[in-house]
Amino acid sequence: MKLATIGVGNAGSKLIDQMLEFEFETGRNLCRHALVINTARTDLAKPQHLDEDRRVLIGDTHQKARGHGVGGDAKIGAEVAQTDIDEIRRVFDDVEIHEVDAVLVAAGLGGGTGSGAAPVVIDELQKMYDEPVYGLGVLPGTYEGGRPALNAARSLQSFVTKVDNFIAFDNDAWRSRGQTIEQGYEEMNEELATRIVTLLAAGEVDESEVGENAMDSSDIMRTLDTGGVSSIGYASTDVTPAKEGLLANFKHDGESQSESTDAAKIKGLVRRATNSRLTVPCNVSSADRALIVFAGPPDVISRKGVESAREWLEETADTVDVLAGDDPRPNSSTLAAVVLLSNVTETPRINEIQDQAVDAQNKIQEQDAVREQEIQSLITDEDNDLDPIV
Amino acid sequence: MKLALVGVGGCGTRVVDQFVRAEHRTGRSVTNGNVLAFHTESQPFDKTQTLTSDQQVLLGDTHPAVLRRDTSPPAPHGEQTSQPPSGSETLTYTDVPSSESDQATSPTGTEDSSSNKSDPDSFGVGGDPDIGAQVAKADRPEIRRALDRIDETDVTATMLVAGLGGGTGSGVGSLLLDELSSIYETAVYALGVLPAGNEAPIRALTAARGLQTFVPRTDSMFLVDNEAWRQDNSAIADSYSSINKMTVERLLSVFGTGERAGTPLSEMRIDPADITRTLNLGGVSTIGHSTMTLDTQSVGLLRRVLSLLRRSSSSVSTPVDATQIKTLISQAVQSKMTLPCEITSADRVLLILTGPPDTISRKGFETGRYLLEEKTETVEVLAGDEPVQKSTELTATVVLSNVTSVPRIDNLQQRAVAAQSDPDADTSVASSAHSQQSYTLSVTDQNSTQSHRDTQRTEFDFGEATTDLDTTDSPDNET
Ligand SMILES: Nc1nc2c(ncn2[C@@H]2O[C@H](COP(=O)(O)OP(=O)(O)OP(=O)(O)O)[C@@H](O)[C@H]2O)c(=O)[nH]1
Ligand SMILES: Nc1nc2c(ncn2[C@@H]2O[C@H](COP(=O)(O)OP(=O)(O)OP(=O)(O)O)[C@@H](O)[C@H]2O)c(=O)[nH]1
Ligand SMILES: [Mg+2]
Ligand SMILES: [Mg+2]
Repeated sequence: MKLATIGVGNAGSKLIDQMLEFEFETGRNLCRHALVINTARTDLAKPQHLDEDRRVLIGDTHQKARGHGVGGDAKIGAEVAQTDIDEIRRVFDDVEIHEVDAVLVAAGLGGGTGSGAAPVVIDELQKMYDEPVYGLGVLPGTYEGGRPALNAARSLQSFVTKVDNFIAFDNDAWRSRGQTIEQGYEEMNEELATRIVTLLAAGEVDESEVGENAMDSSDIMRTLDTGGVSSIGYASTDVTPAKEGLLANFKHDGESQSESTDAAKIKGLVRRATNSRLTVPCNVSSADRALIVFAGPPDVISRKGVESAREWLEETADTVDVLAGDDPRPNSSTLAAVVLLSNVTETPRINEIQDQAVDAQNKIQEQDAVREQEIQSLITDEDNDLDPIV
Repeated sequence: MKLALVGVGGCGTRVVDQFVRAEHRTGRSVTNGNVLAFHTESQPFDKTQTLTSDQQVLLGDTHPAVLRRDTSPPAPHGEQTSQPPSGSETLTYTDVPSSESDQATSPTGTEDSSSNKSDPDSFGVGGDPDIGAQVAKADRPEIRRALDRIDETDVTATMLVAGLGGGTGSGVGSLLLDELSSIYETAVYALGVLPAGNEAPIRALTAARGLQTFVPRTDSMFLVDNEAWRQDNSAIADSYSSINKMTVERLLSVFGTGERAGTPLSEMRIDPADITRTLNLGGVSTIGHSTMTLDTQSVGLLRRVLSLLRRSSSSVSTPVDATQIKTLISQAVQSKMTLPCEITSADRVLLILTGPPDTISRKGFETGRYLLEEKTETVEVLAGDEPVQKSTELTATVVLSNVTSVPRIDNLQQRAVAAQSDPDADTSVASSAHSQQSYTLSVTDQNSTQSHRDTQRTEFDFGEATTDLDTTDSPDNET
């Protein structure tokens, strides 16, 4: 499909940038418009695939932001987005909305800008356009602590009620052991971009090549139509790309393989994608609808395999709404299967974040309630014998 | 972040000068020339190295109670507080502990003179904060003119620095804070130094009153405790330079983060908004700090091997493992803070890790951050790193914002009340040198304020999460 994409805050902007990079590298054409919005000037300089005029600084006149971020304060994030909404709307004016199928808003839900400003932006988009607005949200890790969890739990509610579908990414599930601070989130962002772009870019092939098995944008949108929270699985395998007069084939050592082995491989790939690390861990059977995209050389996509994979997923996801289709990429040396699990309702991480958030909210309220009085008692002596100087 | 620094009194002048020197030395740019020092006597200015004459503001020219070294002593204020020292014109104030001026101001004259170095002498406002406040009021136009030299649009916040026990520091400082908060929309912080236990009781009284005056006028007040940081048994003045060095190093670790030329952008950068949000609670703050030396041999070797292989360092396991980083971070709050306190009373916390980013384990950083959340019993812990390529040191700096259980302050207040009710100590000048022994209190940690907190603490109510939490875009419901 064709998207207008908007990254809000630091994480959101980096994700959009990463999606653009993956697109360029693989010759896809998903993001027809890309825009990043942030409260921190330094963060706006980071993306490498966006023009200067596609970066919007908000809140630079706000006393508590001034171009320096909002320090994790979602309330200020929302406030500055509201204040600068005209400016945001002005940048959308360039977007030829009839040329895109949907809008995607990406944000880190733990940060103040992402969690606070993104829901305001989404509200505005929903008012302006009839096209669906999807959310791509990063959930903070447990070790990031109470404040990010509180931001995320609250923002998640806003997101889920406002967007047509919310695709979640769990930083905890993707946290890897041996990394240094310098490496940051790069690896995770690449993984996420690969999944989201491979899924959503399907249905954008040259009309003449479209076979009956090709995935259509409307299929993807139908699957996302459930609302709620979604998760994505992914697996890929190397294939020998088609050469002059030859067909593409699964990489193998021996002689050419039979149709039934190819079918088994397709089904195995889908099973692997579903059982792999999902963008947000969930109980697969709690999915409402599901969809499989096969991206790769069409010759290796055995119809029999696709059908048995689809049936397998129907059973596993416990839903009759499972669509499968191809994103034919004749020259590709990999075959990827992307599985979209739409509206999954059993996501343990979200419950954990909510628990952590409730604790945090209680703690914060408790501190707020006694703050003034504790400061006063700290600076005055027990019997109040001492006087201030002025 | 960019910060304007305003020093007041002897202590403030020295710390500000030291700060600017450290900026130059470490290649950080924080103040950007937005520096001022106010005093009621000129000598401390003469010893500074970085302050231009434009940045030195001498107050009290017209106030009768202000005594200058270089002019004949005005009579009026002397009778109220003290006699001007004999031969004041010829005095030179040196860094040697027993100077003539100390002896001149010591009524007994037999006291170990080194203990009096920090006692008020009769120059300037003679240690009297009320005179300091009067002087500042009278010189308000001049103060405003001077403050105009700070470019507020150039800085994120302004910090006033003063010895709280000083007549100029506390007295002039109070009025300066009023001015700063009325002219600036940006945050106003203060850094106050608390007198040591062996300083004159009047210092404790002035400091306790100064604290009461400063705290409500600032977004946050950092404190440094001279008692905790003085070298054993020596006069406090002998420790000034080491304490100032420590103070400035910590301040720079906080406010200088990300202000080095040519530093790469960190993924977990601390934004100025992270600092201001940590601090904007009011109350008192303190800074902890811990440094470890990296095994340069192995780091260096590793780098050499990598450059030979033309590989990025990211493909190699980290020389500093998670456990070491966690230990470093916990040391930062467990070792001596600028103001020792009960760390669980902190309201918000800021953690900055400074060092070579390619050696710092991310897991160590995250678990260390989480550890702080547990140790300080707060959920508001902002954390980030400042990458310093090729550095052989790794430093954890922790700011505890709005700590409310501080035995040192209770102790100061007790000393202040005693000084106030002691008829011999009700005026400034070194009148109580005889009570030297009695006010060198041992500062044992007291648990009184702690228990108060404990009774306030209630069990968390684990409610139904989805209904208890407000959404982010309904600002009315926030906190
Ligand atoms: N997956 C992923 N998560 C990120 C990345 N950067 C930040 N995060 C997460 O996003 C949250 C922080 O949000 P940011 O986007 O950095 O902050 P912000 O929205 O710009 O808001 P402020 O910094 O508060 O002004 C944390 O929970 C991080 O875990 C990234 O590049 N990838
Ligand atoms: N840590 C530290 N403390 C200092 C320094 N200079 C003074 N102090 C302390 O600060 C307090 C006030 O001293 P000063 O700043 O010299 O006093 P003042 O404000 O100039 O004015 P007077 O009271 O009139 O001397 C005393 O308790 C000193 O011990 C310093 O350089 N470092
Ligand atoms: Mg940020
Ligand atoms: Mg008290």
